[in-house]
Amino acid sequence: MKHRIMLRIGPASFRIGSAWRQPIADLARLYAAYPQPVDGVADFTVRLEPTRPWRRFIRPSVFIGGDHMLADAAPMALAHGLLAAEMGMNMQMALGWRRHVLLHASCVEKDGKALVMTGESGSGKSTLAAQLGERGWRLMGDEFALLEPETGGVFAFPRLVSLKNQAIGVMQREAPEGRFGPLMRDTPKGDIRHLAPGAEAVARMDEGAMPALLLFPRFGFAPDIREVGQGEAFMRLTQASTNYVTLGEAGFSALTRFVTGVPARAIDFDSGETAIGMIDRLWAELA
Amino acid sequence: MAESRYRAEQGADIIVQPLDDVTLIYHRRSGQTHIVVSPVPEILAALAEGEADVPAILTRLARDYDLDDPGEARAGIAAHLDELVSLGLVTRI
Repeated sequence: MKHRIMLRIGPASFRIGSAWRQPIADLARLYAAYPQPVDGVADFTVRLEPTRPWRRFIRPSVFIGGDHMLADAAPMALAHGLLAAEMGMNMQMALGWRRHVLLHASCVEKDGKALVMTGESGSGKSTLAAQLGERGWRLMGDEFALLEPETGGVFAFPRLVSLKNQAIGVMQREAPEGRFGPLMRDTPKGDIRHLAPGAEAVARMDEGAMPALLLFPRFGFAPDIREVGQGEAFMRLTQASTNYVTLGEAGFSALTRFVTGVPARAIDFDSGETAIGMIDRLWAELA
Repeated sequence: MAESRYRAEQGADIIVQPLDDVTLIYHRRSGQTHIVVSPVPEILAALAEGEADVPAILTRLARDYDLDDPGEARAGIAAHLDELVSLGLVTRI
């Protein structure tokens, strides 16, 4: 492919090729501090290519390709090329990663212990992790937490934080402008702006942490904290994992160890400040 | 008609993991995880002592638990065994 970049995010490395310059230039700027693959060989390839050859020039739209494909991955507008690249990387991880239990969860660390937050899109897990990452916690990832079956530790996958709609304004008040990508309006997920994790998140991305608290945040409800039993936590984590079934017994053992060893709470909140107050209290009490 | 006899999957084929509110059963041969509640773990434990028919399972359970109404318990055990057979965790012999 004409334009390409290689980079490593936590344990996974990517080669991203594009028929266009701009998405790669955006990635190069936002991932400037990230290392190269250890031996120069990438785990995954992501390709951004024209849906038809001539569409590279006429009303271009991007088709996301790679080692692992979803049949219904729809073409996207070239103006959303950076989003296409990020979605392509997520897709490769979700469909192809086998070394860890992949949890669709955000994760932050303090004092060597990890807070894992999982929930559906719109739950606020990503924005909360990004905010905590600017307030003394180490951001380990806003999209995936990697649970290692052998040790029970959580490993980081600190890719760009994907901020949607109101979350963009929230984080623009917390992080310097230079760490943001372009504002992409009217994507299939609404307005999106990417935020590069801070220097510490990148420098320490190979450091794992033992999970100490599991939260199920839910944005847009009156503040409330509810205990979550081990059975419910297990069920919700299997639903949040893209490779639980594939990993078989290793996945079962890792998740049962997780839910029997880590306290779990559901938190409802109507503002980031409320949620962070709850998290501080729960962390002091339980972690 | 003779009572059906049942045999549980061998201990090596399943992992039983009690949690605080439910019990997980991982079935190695199918790779499936089942989430069950009482009395299913108790029935499987009774059957782990060896193949048995419903009255024998009832006798084993009555050793460790108070069964209010044996008739009701017997019907309940039979219904749970049917479910366990359909999941592949128990074989009807």
